[in-house]
Amino acid sequence: MRRALSLAAFAAIVVASIDPILLRFPFYRRAALAPVFERYADRMWLPYAAFLRGVREHTTNGQTIAVLVPTLDWDRGYSYAYYRASYFLAGREVLPLADEARRVHPENLQRAQFVASWRAAIPRGTVVWSGDGGVLVRR
Amino acid sequence: MAAVLIAILSLTVLGIPLVLAVDRNASPLRLLGLAFLYGTGAIYFVLLALSVLHIRWSLLSVTIAALLCGGQALLPVLGRRHGGQARVPVLHVHVFDLAALIAPAALACYATIAPLWEWDFWAIWGLKARVFLEAGGIDWRFLESRWNTFAHPDYPLLVPFAYDFAALVGGGWSDRWLGLLFVAWALAFLLVARDLAALETTPVKAALIVFALSWLAVSRYVGLAEGALVAFIGAGVFFVRRALLANDDAAWRHGAILLGLAACTKNEGLAMLASVAIAIAIVDVRSLRRLWPAAAIALPWLVLRALHDLPTDVVSGSLALRFAARASEAGAIFRLLIANLHDPWLWAALLLGLLLIPRRRERFVLLAVTFQILFYIGAYFVTPHDPAWHIATSWPRLTMQIVAPLAYAVMVQLAHAEARSEQP
Repeated sequence: MRRALSLAAFAAIVVASIDPILLRFPFYRRAALAPVFERYADRMWLPYAAFLRGVREHTTNGQTIAVLVPTLDWDRGYSYAYYRASYFLAGREVLPLADEARRVHPENLQRAQFVASWRAAIPRGTVVWSGDGGVLVRR
Repeated sequence: MAAVLIAILSLTVLGIPLVLAVDRNASPLRLLGLAFLYGTGAIYFVLLALSVLHIRWSLLSVTIAALLCGGQALLPVLGRRHGGQARVPVLHVHVFDLAALIAPAALACYATIAPLWEWDFWAIWGLKARVFLEAGGIDWRFLESRWNTFAHPDYPLLVPFAYDFAALVGGGWSDRWLGLLFVAWALAFLLVARDLAALETTPVKAALIVFALSWLAVSRYVGLAEGALVAFIGAGVFFVRRALLANDDAAWRHGAILLGLAACTKNEGLAMLASVAIAIAIVDVRSLRRLWPAAAIALPWLVLRALHDLPTDVVSGSLALRFAARASEAGAIFRLLIANLHDPWLWAALLLGLLLIPRRRERFVLLAVTFQILFYIGAYFVTPHDPAWHIATSWPRLTMQIVAPLAYAVMVQLAHAEARSEQP
């Protein structure tokens, strides 16, 4: 009886450890799935990533960039916009205009050498580049 | 893809002399598995040292430092090899061993389908790697900035540094194929597990144990530190368990080094080091001193993050006040923990197995895992975040980190129990 139970428990652990989602993955068509995963991070604001790539091409390391998007609400898109900009613009200093305590930080707008404005008001300054729904303004 | 594959190969080659310096009798499986784990640990220290010395990272500076590091380890090994042939255990593999490659192969398909997509990759692990690559070293200004606390500046840097090494090999940042590193960490862990399981049971049962572990070693949280942490925690606990059961000196050294590297991977690795230390203190307090390499490996980052005053969100503010407020919500917190458990059927099977095995023999693993779970639960009682959000976004990952050591111990004992009952 104990031997049968031990075997059953051993087998149960082996079977329960299998991840059925991962197991199915090699049988999916990669070409069909790849775009879904490529868009996953930016699924809410698809052209935003392309805009940030453009901003990167038109700025250099060490420059200071503030990010302006359609919302300053941290939980409704600003956190994503700020974090995503930090990733794509690594090497530059990216400054947020709002924080998770829902405070607005106009002082960062004053400090920034550039404003990357995507689908938002165009701040005063010289337009350095525009594309993918946004403009890069030198202040 | 070639750059990441070359990086993995380079890290493995770098790790070989380090493994041999610690354990000249390492079997081929152990040598290969540990070589990658030690290689990623060595490159972590190389990049950390260059940063501290203000030497800008480049492929040349990192290669020279890595060769010095590997060469230092190789010299005593060559000397000892000259003195006589080492005794290497004979390896008995089984056709079932091929089954353990299914999960890593599936992970390879999953992790390389697109550039890494997880939020925590591009907002924490990958972000730091990319920022440091641009700076040619650790960018302390970035870590110290009040605007970047979202990136968890206090987290240890082994995984971002592995990304940076791959980027240096590739000549620039690319997140397209970094997922392959997680396949390598999983395979390295499985090689170690197979080597150790073979010392305790038959080739068929060892292969089945490693097949089960193969699914626990592959994390679908690709790009986060989970995959590396599972490997370091799992292999570290396996070796300490082996050391305690068989009084194996080499296993002590490997266990301590791997747990130290776990502490360099994520804060949970540091908690695991503490959990293991407490478990050893209970099981055999005299052996506790043998963990000193783990503390030595973890220490540099702890000192640096203290010097730079990098905050840890969970322990910020008043812990006592938050704990007092949450104590009355204990029932709700435990209900959330049960609802968000990683793979509840697996945990049910493990509990069934636990009822059938001689638990005293696995006291160390059971205590280490229990203390680690208590650390995790304690963090939810003092977290400054909403506990429901914190549990939902982290508990499935945390329970996945510690299931492999528990599954290994239970399955080995079940295999023993089955073998004993077979005898007349």
